[in-house]
Amino acid sequence: MELRKLSKLLNIPLPKSIDEDELNRIFAVLERRHPTGEDPWGLNLRKSRESAKLGYSLYKHYFKTRVIGAHKVQDRPYMVVSNHSGQIAIDGMLITAAFILDIWPPRILRSMVERFVMTLPFFGSFAAANGAVLGDRSNCEHLLTREESILVFPEGVRGVSKSTNEFYKLQNFTQGFFRLCLKTKTDILPIATVGAEEFYPFVYQARGLARKLGLPALPLTPFFPTLGILGIVPLPSPVDILIGDPYPIPQDLSPDAPDKLINEHVYKIESIIRDLIAQGRSHRRKFWGTYLLPSVKGPHGPH
Amino acid sequence: MALTNVNSILIIGMAGGLAKITAGLLLKTYPEVNIVGVDSRECDQFLKDVRIKYQRMKYTRSNFEKLFRNNKFDAVLHLGRISHTQANPRAHLAERLDLNVMGTNRILELSLHFEVKKVIILSTYHVYGAYADNPIFLKEDSILRASLNHPELRDVVEMDQLASNWMWKYQHQIETLILRPCSIIGPQIRNAMAQYLVTKYVPVPMDYNPMLQLIHEYDMANTLVHALKYIPTGIYNVATDESMSLHEIKNYMNIPYIPVPVFLLEQVAKVINRTFWSVPDYLIDYLKYPCILSNTELKKHLPPNFYKFSTREILNLIKQD
Repeated sequence: MELRKLSKLLNIPLPKSIDEDELNRIFAVLERRHPTGEDPWGLNLRKSRESAKLGYSLYKHYFKTRVIGAHKVQDRPYMVVSNHSGQIAIDGMLITAAFILDIWPPRILRSMVERFVMTLPFFGSFAAANGAVLGDRSNCEHLLTREESILVFPEGVRGVSKSTNEFYKLQNFTQGFFRLCLKTKTDILPIATVGAEEFYPFVYQARGLARKLGLPALPLTPFFPTLGILGIVPLPSPVDILIGDPYPIPQDLSPDAPDKLINEHVYKIESIIRDLIAQGRSHRRKFWGTYLLPSVKGPHGPH
Repeated sequence: MALTNVNSILIIGMAGGLAKITAGLLLKTYPEVNIVGVDSRECDQFLKDVRIKYQRMKYTRSNFEKLFRNNKFDAVLHLGRISHTQANPRAHLAERLDLNVMGTNRILELSLHFEVKKVIILSTYHVYGAYADNPIFLKEDSILRASLNHPELRDVVEMDQLASNWMWKYQHQIETLILRPCSIIGPQIRNAMAQYLVTKYVPVPMDYNPMLQLIHEYDMANTLVHALKYIPTGIYNVATDESMSLHEIKNYMNIPYIPVPVFLLEQVAKVINRTFWSVPDYLIDYLKYPCILSNTELKKHLPPNFYKFSTREILNLIKQD
């Protein structure tokens, strides 16, 4: 009873697990794609299924994830390109979950992760079991050749480690992802994640100190590092994943083309994602009676 | 260029399980062949066939040269790399450097001098090293990083590099193959990984779960036999298309094990080393990080469905043993 009161007070629904029949339906498709249940990159369908079951409440009820534009995803391999936000890669996990739970046919999206992730005890093998792959060019090529879909964040660490005054400002994309798409003839699916910046709404990135300590980033929030490990718990900011129209790869452009020709396309993709972010922000959902950060005022104003 | 006549073969490391299986297959494939096997170890379960002669000797000695002089070998199979099954590989590094590096150099020089037509050297996937940033499907031109973290693997890397340099230098005079197989497993193989998989109550990292590739001893022997005639000069990874994670292998084998965090694994291994099981230090890296080989180059020279044993079949066979 008290749990229900607390849930109502915080506007966080009580956790409900996914319907078992629905999960069976999803994993029947995934098992056809990965008949042995494992693959050389460490994917483990049995563990993915357990993760989907356990993570469903977080995905649906804590972060209230919405997928807008799921109908645009066809049953073919994509290089899924997204903005990166939220200090830690929760956005990656939500996008991966979306492609399993909310997009048909479901697929295990292979997220490209930084090298250090694979060295982390427990987390490295957990990430691999759920489809994460070392962000290496040859891994990416192999997977795309096997008709798998890849999730990349071309902003890199710069995207995810922003101070509050930089939130929702898309950082410059690198070119590598586009060259890989040209090489493997894989179309790009641009998406935008809106709501992840508010997981930790008040952040100062101590970049100088991070450099001195040899860290990629050092986010300081009112709760971290002051509350220690508790300070890492993200706020239940509602997340929208907006899917744009697939960006077809030009067939006559070489993967070794000069930067100038590649940049034309990379800028277009950045622009598409910027528009998706603006669209998402104009339809932001409140939580705890507030947006915490200003929403973009679209034609219908913030919701 | 294929080796057309196979009349006389030298197998170095004859006392090993793989060499015996290979010898048996060679006798079946080439009924006219004569095999001379050498090893510094005693050879029990010796193949009773008049076409095989076994000599116990160290191949760094002068009587080794006599073998080449007295037999006109068409091919030499160097399967005699000394492995690291001792608990403290560093203590025997000098001996392994002597045999694996200097010994290999001697074998290659003698092969060239006595006009051997083909030399096959069995290296190992360990040369690549197990690292978190290993791409999956390591190709033959990937950097050999094994000795960066583990100096005790220097001999393995140096042997491989010595053979590679020699191979290209003399490619017009002698055909040379370097084979880098994944873990060879089978009832007759007693390497570190094979022991690790079948031994009860071994410590298994609970916080890491790398993918492993296994090849059955028969399939490996068959690859060696096939290589004599059908695989040209070059370096080849030897692996099947399958892989399986360490935890899945252990669960499939249904052999009890002790899950421990990796930081404790080294300490636990030191205790076990003194009692009943030998754990080379470097093996712990291979229990943490993947070292998955690309077999694309070798597959170009193999007929379809060449490998007979799937990973599960291999595990079933060693479980029964």
